[in-house]
Amino acid sequence: MERIQPPVENYANPKTCLFHVLFKAGALAFYILSALFFNSFVIIFVVTVLLAALDFWVVKNVSGRILVGLRWWNEINEQGESVWKFECLDQESLARMNKKDSWLFWWTLYLTAVAWIFLGIFSLIRFQADYLLVVGVCLSLSVANIIGFTKCRKDAKKQIQQFATQTIASRFSSTVQAAFSVV
Amino acid sequence: MSLHPNPLHSSAQSDIDEIENLMYAAPVLPARPPSPPRASIPVSSTPFVPSNLPPPSYTKPAPPAPPPVAPVLPPISSGGASGDPRPAISVDGFGSPPNTLTEPVWDTVKRDLSRIVSNLKLVVFPNPSREDPGKALRDWDLWGPFFFIVFLGLILSWSASVKKSEVFAVAFAVLAAGAVILTLNVVLLGGHIIFFQSLSLLGYCLFPLDVGALICMLKDNVILKIIVVSITLAWSSWAAYPFMSAAVGPNRKALALYPVFLMYISVGFLIIAID
Repeated sequence: MERIQPPVENYANPKTCLFHVLFKAGALAFYILSALFFNSFVIIFVVTVLLAALDFWVVKNVSGRILVGLRWWNEINEQGESVWKFECLDQESLARMNKKDSWLFWWTLYLTAVAWIFLGIFSLIRFQADYLLVVGVCLSLSVANIIGFTKCRKDAKKQIQQFATQTIASRFSSTVQAAFSVV
Repeated sequence: MSLHPNPLHSSAQSDIDEIENLMYAAPVLPARPPSPPRASIPVSSTPFVPSNLPPPSYTKPAPPAPPPVAPVLPPISSGGASGDPRPAISVDGFGSPPNTLTEPVWDTVKRDLSRIVSNLKLVVFPNPSREDPGKALRDWDLWGPFFFIVFLGLILSWSASVKKSEVFAVAFAVLAAGAVILTLNVVLLGGHIIFFQSLSLLGYCLFPLDVGALICMLKDNVILKIIVVSITLAWSSWAAYPFMSAAVGPNRKALALYPVFLMYISVGFLIIAID
């Protein structure tokens, strides 16, 4: 079978993409396959949750930044209140982001959550409360990342709009100013 | 020739001035995009806030353009930036970004580990900032608590001769749910506490019990176990006390603290009783 090189750009950050998918797939695979090999729930729990936690960390700190240029975190300010911060790259860089990268990023994020939901339903049907615990933890980690990045993306869009309005306002004002100074 | 009467001209002028001020002052503002206050984030279940490529101070040895301010300013500010002369681009924006690709895991891991250690020292060991509990766990993280809870569960599971899996699952669930419930308890008592900060705190306070459990696992003498567990129990409670009590009003301190003691005592019994 010949490899057709599509005219579309390739992944810009293959290593990051790989890691992005690796831990997610690892956690899911281990959870699903381990029932065949291991009898011990403890090992399954610890390894799966560890992989899920690593995945959370990688997505939040590495692939989020590099693949889609978004970042979110939580700070506690001087008044002692917790503040969620969102950040995004400036517009030009955002536009230059590799489409394939961001496609992969978002899709794997959503698919993993859906997969965990399915696994949760299975364990619910089989009345296995302890496996439900594992699924619950992994699901909450995925959902947390999804929520964080979605909010970040919305914030980025809002910022872009604000920026656009400001640009228009500034252009308008400078035109008006020029008009007035001429007179 | 102006088509507009003077008053409009002057107000237009001041408007223009205002807009310009906004434009050139902008660099400072957009740096922090408005983010919703805590209450709006549902994340009832984010255990981890690992390394937030945090506010600038200790990051990256060699960021190309020294950007102390992590967030990127919209290009509009590149013209009149009073703050950072931002090369308007890319990945610098985050202040330390792709450089972490070249020094990927190791440096970030080191940073996270050092944060865990410093948080641990703040919470569990005597130090001056205990008087001001709000400050102590300012940059909370949940990795520490995660490790401690899993460690405790593993030790209990290992010490158990039967039903190891159940012991682990029960220990983990009790500790995790217990931390959440204790936090809710404080909130319902009208206290001022931040959810994740409190989870983080209660997790870190498990450290003495971890140590105690380890000792108990190694030496299987009941008297020794009782002594060790009581000491570590007292230590844990002492560690948790200032933070929890500072969070609620004075007439409700006992109500907030008692469940904490209760949880640690039950964990202590679990450690003693397991065999």
